[in-house]
Amino acid sequence: MNVGDALLDLARADGLRSIIVVGTGKNVGKTVVVRAIARSAGARGLAFGLTSIGRDGEAVDVTDAGVKPRLFLRPGAIVATARDTLPRHPASELLDLSNLRTAAGSLVYARVKAAGYFEIAGPPTATGMRACIEHLARLGCEQTIVDGAIDRVAALAGGGDAIVVATGANNAKTMQEAVDDVRGLVARLRVEAFEPNETFVAIEGALTAEAAARLLAAGERRQIVVRHPTQIVISGKAFLGIAHRLRIRCREPLRIVAATVASIGRERYFEPRGFARAVANATELPTFDVFAAERAA
Amino acid sequence: MRFDRLLDANTRAALQVAWLRAELEPASEYGRNVFETIEPFAPGFETAAQSRARFIGELARALDGARLDAIRDALRAAPDATPAIARAGMGEVLGDANLLELQRFLDAAGRVDALLIASDAPLRVPTGDVADLIAILERGRRGKFGFYLADEYDARLAESRGIAEREQAEYDAVRGRLARRVATELGRDEIAESEFIVMREALHGALPAEVRVVREAPTYLLCELDLDAASLAALARRDAANEAAALAEEGARATLSAAVAKHAAALQRIASNLGTADVALAQARFVRRYACEVAEVVADAHVAYERARFLPLAVELEREGRGYEPISLDLVDVAVLTGPNMGGKSVALRTTAFIALLAAFGLPVPAERARVGLFDDIAWLGIGADEAVGGLLSSFAKEVVRLQEILARSAPRMLVLIDEFARTTTPREGKALLVALVRTLRSRGRAALLATHLAGIARAGGARHFAVRGLRDVPQTPASGNLAQALASLAASMDYTIAEVTGGIERQADAIALAHLLGLDGELVAEARRALDVEG
Repeated sequence: MNVGDALLDLARADGLRSIIVVGTGKNVGKTVVVRAIARSAGARGLAFGLTSIGRDGEAVDVTDAGVKPRLFLRPGAIVATARDTLPRHPASELLDLSNLRTAAGSLVYARVKAAGYFEIAGPPTATGMRACIEHLARLGCEQTIVDGAIDRVAALAGGGDAIVVATGANNAKTMQEAVDDVRGLVARLRVEAFEPNETFVAIEGALTAEAAARLLAAGERRQIVVRHPTQIVISGKAFLGIAHRLRIRCREPLRIVAATVASIGRERYFEPRGFARAVANATELPTFDVFAAERAA
Repeated sequence: MRFDRLLDANTRAALQVAWLRAELEPASEYGRNVFETIEPFAPGFETAAQSRARFIGELARALDGARLDAIRDALRAAPDATPAIARAGMGEVLGDANLLELQRFLDAAGRVDALLIASDAPLRVPTGDVADLIAILERGRRGKFGFYLADEYDARLAESRGIAEREQAEYDAVRGRLARRVATELGRDEIAESEFIVMREALHGALPAEVRVVREAPTYLLCELDLDAASLAALARRDAANEAAALAEEGARATLSAAVAKHAAALQRIASNLGTADVALAQARFVRRYACEVAEVVADAHVAYERARFLPLAVELEREGRGYEPISLDLVDVAVLTGPNMGGKSVALRTTAFIALLAAFGLPVPAERARVGLFDDIAWLGIGADEAVGGLLSSFAKEVVRLQEILARSAPRMLVLIDEFARTTTPREGKALLVALVRTLRSRGRAALLATHLAGIARAGGARHFAVRGLRDVPQTPASGNLAQALASLAASMDYTIAEVTGGIERQADAIALAHLLGLDGELVAEARRALDVEG
């Protein structure tokens, strides 16, 4: 099967024109997933844009010097990236300059004119990312693909994006730990919309573990309402424990459409089908293995 | 604008300079760079200040609001191309984003100049010196705002890119055939990634020859596609073609950068002109928005104005739907200003300083007419401006410390505004201090305006005396005790006119009437009136 096609179909079936791939950690196959979706979008003739939250697509991981997958893009793709990361060759058609700042200079929008490898470093802030996605749409992108980052999950706030959650062997010592992590993350991002006709407690700002503990201790039964799931700053496992005992809800729910697994880590690997199946069961999401080109049964 | 050259932090706060700065903010980075360097005109440069104010006035008359907005939009869209110009000037080969910046910068300059010409404004940002560079960059324009290192820049570009494209297609085809064959042998739809997993249970027989095992696991094999000889040859040709195309692109950039370097001086001049124009246009916009007039800039320490407004307050009142009564004053030497509470004494002080400040920067002033001298220093001492000094000191002690600091300044020509100095000590000693202060300021040749409730200061100090006329009649207290209504009633009853007092008769402060109007307990007000009568 073609995993990129499947993910694109899931997003577009819901009318969502941007797909954000977030991971449970580093090197869990996000860029491979982004590349697969981009390849499918290109093959379908969709005008698509690519960007990332923070820095992605480098040949070498800037934090641990490991080899990272690069993005090989074909003519027509539009990238939103820091000007210092845009390759001098092949020359791209520059569409617009922006005042949005990144660690590698201000953001530029460019159309790929000749096939080549690209490094993408998009805006690091939530508002910057939102502005970037909107500008890509104005430049004619029918589909925008974002290489996300879990520590910048706030960038998902306020948009109508399809979210794909990537997990892998690289960030957990055991398969069970990896499954628990992704279950917690998905549960957090999937917090349901609140019911306005029922009583609720509105949380201004972030819902922390400490605040949740206070609400639990007070025996709170009403809905606990945050504006957005990204404002829940409780780690995966802790959140699962709290979510069963508090009715945590949000005003602007997110749309999680799928999960992906990368069973190959730098230091360990998990059995691919068993891992994909466990993630699918834990998250109740369509789950794909990009390397095996399979969907979990 | 270097407001700090004329005003200390207290005075800047009292005059709401942050508001003024925001109103005069240029639209572009070029303008902001110039804005930060503008110095006030010092005494002796009256002709230059006058000339600048006339120029800004003319500019404001020449440009209507819509055209000013259009010019500011063009300026706002101008990216800062000065680093690129400097780098090209040093012989660096620019990147494509730099070239787009330059194109947009020149677009903005051209648009601003066209709008100025269409308005017959006394200002230009000519780009004629770089017409050939504009034509060169134009070849790279894509759409309205884009830029591409187009094939037209270098004969080798089209050829090398064509070869690179063909070699990429050839490699894709050869590798694609290989990948499809391997996928078919493995029973898969495709092999898209360089690394892929083959499940052992799905493997019937040996792996295809072009598949290399990277890692073995009990249930699967992590594999890579090994390129065959044909694919490797196609890959080598593609990489060579890419290298040739990269060289051609870099050559085209070098040619373009040399053209930029050749015009670097002219480009810097345009950038500088754009910045200067941006500042002037922001000032003209301010003048239009607030109906400012060109003041007569005189050689002596004089601040005279008719129907002037302290703009930050006027704008605030307008926002609240309340009226603003302009005032007139003629200040030479030292003068004392008295008047009722809420009669506008503090505003008169601020207006005087505000007019002097704008004139010092060569700007028209918010008054129907004005004659203003230039000052080296403008200092404010008054309510709200002394809090920063000495947290452990009393209000009076803070005032004294601040006053001493102002008196110790050595500026040759200084304008001093003093708002109710010594109001927190006994009237008898406060009056003595004020009289002494008036005499000291006079003896030092300062221009000063001192507001006070204390009587007899001007006469004793030998200074002119101005007074706010005050309440025409006792305003009606609103039945509801509503503060907004009370203020409206007060404003309607208050005559804010400032007139010189020549007969020596001083008005009351109308404090009890005002307290009553503002809703103070009726019994308390009645008792105050009785106490006043007894005192006689």
